[in-house]
Amino acid sequence: MLLSVGKLNVFYGSAQVVSDVSLEVDQGEMIFLVGRNGAGKTTLLKTISGFLPSGSGKILFDGADINGKPSNELALMGMRYVFQDKRVFTQLTVRENIHLAAYPFKQKASEAEEKVVGIYPEIVRFMDKKAGGLSGGQRQLLLLGRALIGNPQLLLIDEPTEGLAAGIIDQVFRVLKMMKGQLAMLIVEQNLAVVSQLADRVYIMQEGQIPRELVSQADIQDQEQLEKYL
Amino acid sequence: MINTLAYGLTIGGILYIISVGLSLTFGTMRIVNFAHALIYTVGAYALIAALPFLGGYFVPATVLAVLAAVPLSYVIERYIIRRLYGASIDYAIIATYAVLLIGVDITKWIWGATPIPLSDPVNQYLNIFGVSLPVYRLIIIALSLLVFLALEIFLRRTMVGKIVVAGLEDREAVSSLGINVEKYFCLIFVIGSCLAAFGGVLYSPITTVHPYMGFQVLLLSFAVVLVGGLGSMRGTFISAFVLGMVMAVTGRFWGPAAETMVFVVMAVVLIIKPIDV
Repeated sequence: MLLSVGKLNVFYGSAQVVSDVSLEVDQGEMIFLVGRNGAGKTTLLKTISGFLPSGSGKILFDGADINGKPSNELALMGMRYVFQDKRVFTQLTVRENIHLAAYPFKQKASEAEEKVVGIYPEIVRFMDKKAGGLSGGQRQLLLLGRALIGNPQLLLIDEPTEGLAAGIIDQVFRVLKMMKGQLAMLIVEQNLAVVSQLADRVYIMQEGQIPRELVSQADIQDQEQLEKYL
Repeated sequence: MINTLAYGLTIGGILYIISVGLSLTFGTMRIVNFAHALIYTVGAYALIAALPFLGGYFVPATVLAVLAAVPLSYVIERYIIRRLYGASIDYAIIATYAVLLIGVDITKWIWGATPIPLSDPVNQYLNIFGVSLPVYRLIIIALSLLVFLALEIFLRRTMVGKIVVAGLEDREAVSSLGINVEKYFCLIFVIGSCLAAFGGVLYSPITTVHPYMGFQVLLLSFAVVLVGGLGSMRGTFISAFVLGMVMAVTGRFWGPAAETMVFVVMAVVLIIKPIDV
């Protein structure tokens, strides 16, 4: 198992946000985390990826106990987190954003650019523009491409289609579909059309817990059923 | 008027050199670092300590004084500032203010509280439109421009600079790329502190060196940073020279109001454009 989370608890002060959560992600799997706003999905992802401390529980990545490790070390180990709010470095150009991601992995700048162009060819037109001038969709595609630099084993992606226009969602969907099977992904997503078409498994998150896991494709593709959890 | 202009630009230049480090640490770490004023003071005293050993030569003594800031600022960052990341801003104020007070007392213990005057190291004058201006002040203005250009090149052209620019905007996102942000913040802290020491050195021959000199400059530096925008290098540069001119022009007509006017400008800027710390 690539990622194994066992009985994880996370607190904000005295408030418990994540309660006894366990989940697993295997190599190449695309797993979705679905639930209402405030259910604790982002907190869970940020805790796994080292941005928040856990109260208790186990987080194993590729067999190693990573609980408490800082986010930068986890990124170097092959786990990459893509933030919810399309956080590119607006003061840097698109090219500089890509080069920055290549730097810790000592990857050639040209190879890193190729990686991003591979999933989003139109980005070549914006390479020397400030990333702050990109639209939400362009930012998201840049972030997904940037996260692939350094050949990670696992991507944790927080709401990749949130706030995007329908046409751009299709583009993000195509990219996620293209990436499927090449590496493992744990994705928080509210767009059930995307979930039902791409998920290998779905974890339902409610009030800080995971009461249900959907394994069969019949359950996953039943959007009406899924909607009850949103 | 030319004299006022030159004085304003000199003060602006020194304020820029001192404040830019404050702006960098404020912008990247969100830490209000009162200990910055201590490093400024230490720079001036290190110059006084180094001068006799170097035959009174100002330039090598300046280099030594600036280098003296490296171990001191490293220790402050590593053992005090780093523990304050993400903590309430109040803790940073209390902790770094304590460092400043302890440092000032140690300075008094070593050098005494009597102000020490330093003579103009250049001691030459340039005649511009019939007005005699000290060359030393013109050198300070040129050095501040040089520091600005060097920082611009460092931040825009080097990978370390780009990491800092990205870190100023979004520390978490930099960390998510596998970059140890704290390592670079420490480097920035040390560079900023060296500039504070450099500012202390440059200002010493214009004023007198005394243990409390840092307090004077601290509030002015914060005014520069707040008016220029937290973490904005170009904003800090413009703000330093504008506030330097405000001080010089106000001082020409009403001396006691020179510094007060800086804070009036700061208050107006904050009313128009409040900051979110």
